[in-house]
Amino acid sequence: MSEFQPKIVAFLCNWCSYGAADLAGVSRLQYPPNIRVVRIPCTGRLSPKFILSAFRRGADGVWASG
Amino acid sequence: MRKAAYVQYAQAVPLKYAIDSANCIYFQKGKCRACEKVCPTKAVDFTQKPETVELNVGSVVIAAGFKPFDPSRFDSYNYANYKNVITSMEFERMLSASGPSMGHVARPSDHKDPKKIAWFQCVGSRDLNKCDNPYCSAVCCMYAIKEAVIAKEHAGAGGLDCSIFFMDMRTHGKDFEVFYEGAKKQGVRFVRSRVHTITEDKATKDLSVRYVTEDGALAEETFDMIVLSIGLETPPETVELAKKLGLELTSGRFAQTGSFTPVSTSREGVFVCGAFAGPKDIPQSVVEASASAVSAGQALAEARGALTKTKEAVPETDLRGEPPRIGVFVCRCGINIAGVVDVPSVVEHAKTLPGVVFATDNMYSCSQDTQDTMAQIIRDNRLNRVVVAACTPKTHEPLFQETLINAGLNKYLFEMANIRNQDSWVHKENPEAATQKAKDLVRMGITKAALIEPLPEAELDVNQTAMVAGGGISGMSAALALAGQGYETHIVERSDRLGGQALNLHKTWRGEDIQAKLAEMVAAVTKNPKITVHLGTEIAGVDGFVGNFKSALSKGGQTTSLDHGVAVVATGAGELRPSGYAYGKSPRIVTSLELDKKFMANGALVTGLQSAVFIQCVGSREPERPYCSRVCCTHSIESALEIKRRNPDAGVYILYRDIRSYGERETLYRQAREAGVIFIRYSVDRKPVVEAAGDTVGVTVFDPILGRTVQIGADLLCLASAVVPNDNTALARFFKVPVNAQGFFVERHAKLGPSEFATDGVFLCGLAHYPKPIDESIAQGQAAASRAITLLARKKIRMNGQVAKTNPALCSSCGVCVSVCPYKAPSFTTQGPFTGKAEINPVLCKGCGLCVASCRSGAINLKGFDTNQIMAMLEAM
Amino acid sequence: MKGLLEHMGIEPGRLHFSWISSAESTKFVDVVSQVTESVKALGPAQNFIKREPKVA
Repeated sequence: MSEFQPKIVAFLCNWCSYGAADLAGVSRLQYPPNIRVVRIPCTGRLSPKFILSAFRRGADGVWASG
Repeated sequence: MRKAAYVQYAQAVPLKYAIDSANCIYFQKGKCRACEKVCPTKAVDFTQKPETVELNVGSVVIAAGFKPFDPSRFDSYNYANYKNVITSMEFERMLSASGPSMGHVARPSDHKDPKKIAWFQCVGSRDLNKCDNPYCSAVCCMYAIKEAVIAKEHAGAGGLDCSIFFMDMRTHGKDFEVFYEGAKKQGVRFVRSRVHTITEDKATKDLSVRYVTEDGALAEETFDMIVLSIGLETPPETVELAKKLGLELTSGRFAQTGSFTPVSTSREGVFVCGAFAGPKDIPQSVVEASASAVSAGQALAEARGALTKTKEAVPETDLRGEPPRIGVFVCRCGINIAGVVDVPSVVEHAKTLPGVVFATDNMYSCSQDTQDTMAQIIRDNRLNRVVVAACTPKTHEPLFQETLINAGLNKYLFEMANIRNQDSWVHKENPEAATQKAKDLVRMGITKAALIEPLPEAELDVNQTAMVAGGGISGMSAALALAGQGYETHIVERSDRLGGQALNLHKTWRGEDIQAKLAEMVAAVTKNPKITVHLGTEIAGVDGFVGNFKSALSKGGQTTSLDHGVAVVATGAGELRPSGYAYGKSPRIVTSLELDKKFMANGALVTGLQSAVFIQCVGSREPERPYCSRVCCTHSIESALEIKRRNPDAGVYILYRDIRSYGERETLYRQAREAGVIFIRYSVDRKPVVEAAGDTVGVTVFDPILGRTVQIGADLLCLASAVVPNDNTALARFFKVPVNAQGFFVERHAKLGPSEFATDGVFLCGLAHYPKPIDESIAQGQAAASRAITLLARKKIRMNGQVAKTNPALCSSCGVCVSVCPYKAPSFTTQGPFTGKAEINPVLCKGCGLCVASCRSGAINLKGFDTNQIMAMLEAM
Repeated sequence: MKGLLEHMGIEPGRLHFSWISSAESTKFVDVVSQVTESVKALGPAQNFIKREPKVA
């Protein structure tokens, strides 16, 4: 009945995108509630293993942002 | 109107309620005391009386601030009567997400979205007729542009027409000119006109104005709203305070300071910073705050630490062998979180998860009393991992880690779930999904928490020596401040003498003789036993890191090494050699600095001058140099006045784009006009034309007021040439600090960290940061020293524990980590059983994880962001 | 990376990369929305999910 709501893992760099996400909150911007954020110290930390693992655990999408 | 029980404002420290006795029924009528009865913690005490506290101090810093100008007294703008005429401060509150309209701009008369807004500049500034404020308030041009741009962005597709009525657009701050140009591109309209009167349509409450356009035509326009860009003034109470303390004030009622003592008042031991020392913006206020702190501290250097109380350290609990006992605190953040997310259900969910032995919710987790309660709960329940679901770790992680330390836990046994900034605030319309997301985020956090371990922090001695790169005005003032607090300081100066650009300057805008003051400063530096000056020396390389730098100093082909704990970058800037305007074709065409030299030498050219022309913005505010050089308007006006002083009958013309005599420099601009200096505005697409013909210089310029071209035959043409940074690429690479597109160094934070770099232990001041006059250079030199001293005074620093660590048993010695690390942290072990395997210096490691992801052997782990921890979070999702 | 996913039967449209500075909150929102839309359009992920129940 209800629309498909995907689960998306977001790997966000602590210094860049994670900050932008915080700021989006401060500015009360609204966006879809489908992402689950994993804070990483830097996109350099991101290993392909994590992306594969996310899909393996049933994520419908993965977003990595520096 | 606020209630009798109130909090000053949302960011107040401490964030506590107070009672306003003027509006309290009990204080006014003797009955009520309802708040006393309902307060669960019995915090209301009606017996409190004002008390006088006596403090014995060695120095005083006055940061009394300003009062926004009240435009009610201007009957022509009818601020008091027309609802849709508001002040810029009121508009600022409208734009604020935490303000009364939650960031929504609405017309006060009918709460409709405005379609057309005008800003009027210089209300209560640059005005001696309707008010007694002769100065420029220095901040209003920039805030008006910012307000217009933000309002336009908020209005979105609906569109909003924004117009700014101004006299001179003063965007002289760092990166401001680019913002101004950007605003024009975004459609903000700039109208050079001062509007006299506003009239209101009685029915619609629309506002119509009549004004004279630049070409003299009369225009009429209607707006939905008009914002008065009100200036800054010193409130009468502060004037009174200054009188009591015996402080001299300027004509604009600001504290009198000197260009070489920018934060010292007329009374010894009393210092000043911020808007009470002249109208200014945030970065400059922050610079002065640091400068006044170091100046106030100088007199007290000997007594430093005499009265400090040492916080008792709570011993860290040994957790070895203990299974995880996780405590979960879900913050309501008032209604910020609880208004959207079903907090109790998140708490209930947390209780069902493995390892969780305690879960509760807090009203405001960050309040001091909650912190104390949390520490107690941690001890009582023997918690050994803590998860806080609240705002963002970026702002609050250190605070909660402090709570853990106070409860005897290692601060890394902590994890945050971001359920405010990244959940409740951004999914307001969808409470169900937001609650689900909160549960998921909390579960992910708890799963990670179960795997986190206490981490040690490397502790490091801070070398107590400072190095200052650059021996100009700002470098010397930094060195004097550092040495004044007892630190060994080395000045490294490339040229063969101290003084930098100040050696070329004649007088400050306040009329002080720069060479005399500079000589005093050089003497003070030279005879200070704590300061070593290295002339003719360049920095050839820098090794090490905060607290332990090792710089290679090269002098005449010989290299020596200097160990230092901090570095101040004060490498200055130079004057652009103009191209065009016939520069170089005649000895009568000079730059501003060349003219100063002639004044100082009393050369033939400047004696008996009959006519002189100044051209402003030579090389500044151009596409290749899109910044205002900040100092040139004031400099040219001062030089014009100097010519007038030498020969009152000389014809002196200043050709300008906008006169940017900000702050109290405006008084100099007025003096120049009174002395008969003629100001002619030119536009960038119609620049003056210069011809060097024989013994005079011909200048042709279009005068927009006269509406025709004017020809001037001058004995002297002075080109106000741009301030250009030195080549800073080598130094930027040595200290790993950024340089912007124009070649100026980029500070840690444009507003809050103007005198330091993001790189720990490296500080910044003077022209290398941005063009600025002597008083601001000195203040920033002192500020950089002040920031450096906060680090030096700690004597030891602790490094982040979240660093990478190799497992030598798995390492294949491939060297990828050594080559990829931007911070040179990994290296090959040179001795012991693991010789040839990679190891990581925890002091250099910034914890970015690049080496971890690139290690083919899986031999590197990043503590705090371990592979198994991230995998567990993914699993919990 | 996307090629690898495709090889394993995961639609490349499920993986997104972006670069956003900490000041670009509006860009952040734009990208989140766009990523969500694009994944939504692909429907639930069917492949590569570990099927057997996980022992906690």
